[in-house]
Amino acid sequence: MEDGKNAPRHCFIHFEHHMCMGCSLCVKRCPTRAIRVRNGKATIKHSLCIGCGECIRICESGAITASTSELNSLNSDKITIALVSPVLYSQFPGVLPRDILQGLKNMGFTHAVDMSYYFEMFQWATAEYISRNRKTGESPWPLISPVCPVVLRLIVCRFPILLPHVHPIMRPVALMARDVMTQFKMHYGVEDQDIVLYYINPCPSKMGIPKKELEKAGQTEGLHSTGALGINDIYAELSRQIKQFEKNDKIPFAKAGFEFEQCTSGGGLLWSMTGGEAEATGLDKILAVAGLTETITYLEKIELGLFNDLEYIEFRTCREGCIGGALNAIDKYLAKSAALKMAKTLGVGTRLNRERVLRLYDNNWFFPKITPQALNAMGIQKERTFSFEELSMLEKIVGIIDGKSCGACGSPDCRTFAEDLLRDEASPDDCVYLKIRGITKEDILNKVKLNTD
Amino acid sequence: MPSIHKSYHVTKNDFIHAGEASIHVKNLLKSMNYESDLVRRIAICGYEAEMNLVMHGGDGELSVNVSADKVIIEVADKGPGIPDVALAMQEGYSTAKDEYREMGFGAGMGLPNMKKNSDEMSVTSELGHGTNVTMVFYCKG
Repeated sequence: MEDGKNAPRHCFIHFEHHMCMGCSLCVKRCPTRAIRVRNGKATIKHSLCIGCGECIRICESGAITASTSELNSLNSDKITIALVSPVLYSQFPGVLPRDILQGLKNMGFTHAVDMSYYFEMFQWATAEYISRNRKTGESPWPLISPVCPVVLRLIVCRFPILLPHVHPIMRPVALMARDVMTQFKMHYGVEDQDIVLYYINPCPSKMGIPKKELEKAGQTEGLHSTGALGINDIYAELSRQIKQFEKNDKIPFAKAGFEFEQCTSGGGLLWSMTGGEAEATGLDKILAVAGLTETITYLEKIELGLFNDLEYIEFRTCREGCIGGALNAIDKYLAKSAALKMAKTLGVGTRLNRERVLRLYDNNWFFPKITPQALNAMGIQKERTFSFEELSMLEKIVGIIDGKSCGACGSPDCRTFAEDLLRDEASPDDCVYLKIRGITKEDILNKVKLNTD
Repeated sequence: MPSIHKSYHVTKNDFIHAGEASIHVKNLLKSMNYESDLVRRIAICGYEAEMNLVMHGGDGELSVNVSADKVIIEVADKGPGIPDVALAMQEGYSTAKDEYREMGFGAGMGLPNMKKNSDEMSVTSELGHGTNVTMVFYCKG
């Protein structure tokens, strides 16, 4: 198993081995069975990790952290831009979003860009795509929202049959990164490498895809090499900045230099909660589902052909939506209350009109050069598959173990342990049920073969 | 030729667990790397068949036989039987109780949908004794 900070390709989480107690809680929680405890310490197959953050949440010893970027460009000569998920605003109850953006600038960011402008873009384009899809039937119903990246990776890993259901519009964060990069390059007359984008967000899964990977996949524009910071990475420093200037140094709303630099609307705040995106589409045949278990249950059912009377399903793998993300600084219910109050204060107007978005839509502005499915598939493996012989051996091995899926072996359950045995990734000595009876790998193989003959 | 046989019991009126057998079958086929479209069709047919057992058939068995070139699903119940199989195969024909319709089922698309999504299907039914449905799905060569 590959592990640690230098793991190849994407890497959403990181284990501090000296803090790991080998308790197996994370092993049992992982939805793609990516984690094992071996030799008393947790290890992860990064190629199966979808970045859901469940292991971070459940770890009692704090041994698991998100692999976020180092914030080392702030005091360099580069132009640093904070791309702000509106979830950030919910972390500071009572503070106006514009003050939070100003706080980021005081921290040293050259610009702080609010994402709600791109939510609006996305929702207009989504409404347009759905209305055209009613006639063309290009994508099967229900469309699955591409906004939560964990859902996309979950689909690649466990539900590849559903890939045609993924709504093909670029995600708001991708629209934002591309547009901000283009406009600032023009404004300052500089090149790509002079600008550093930092995405400030609540979940471990939004790490930028390295530019080299994009180029390999034939994607030369559209998504940029972006750093990702957890909200909890900057929370303390940002709180300090906000307290310092809050009373006396406010920027007037109208002074924002770029349209997208203007502050959020209440609508942007609603997006941070479950149902916000669905509500924004203004459609009837929609559904919003939040929570990892709930998401998996619905995906299973869509594979059975259910819910094809719905047009769009918003999935978020975090409870309550993005405000429940693993990298937030305050609890999701406090954040929800703060976000709802602020949304009321700001109101939910829109800034864009349909005609303008339509022009961009017809110029293919919203469609990625390569599909989000392909992009996401680059780093993610499909689950293991087995031959007839292997399946029958697995069933026999599970029978020989005759255990209770206790997880003491370091695999999540007896069946997965049997798979690990078969692939030589575990030893019978790891299992208490086998060890107590003195059963060796040879014994198991003999029994399995005897039964086959 | 190696094959795998599985059998599931489906209970009348058990809407809570309805669909579980189909999910098992679907996930078994996925774990054996069967082609997406085939798995999708089998999942849809399995679910429709399971719902028929839950609503009409009374307790019954859904069994699946998986081999390299084809997948066979057999559904057998000891329910009331279908008086006119040809009529039941028509789209929109339904004998579902009102309470099922209120739950969004019973649109009369079950059997037609199974016919559409399977490669071969046969229905035999005897009044008062039950119904047997066999569906065959061929894997692309």
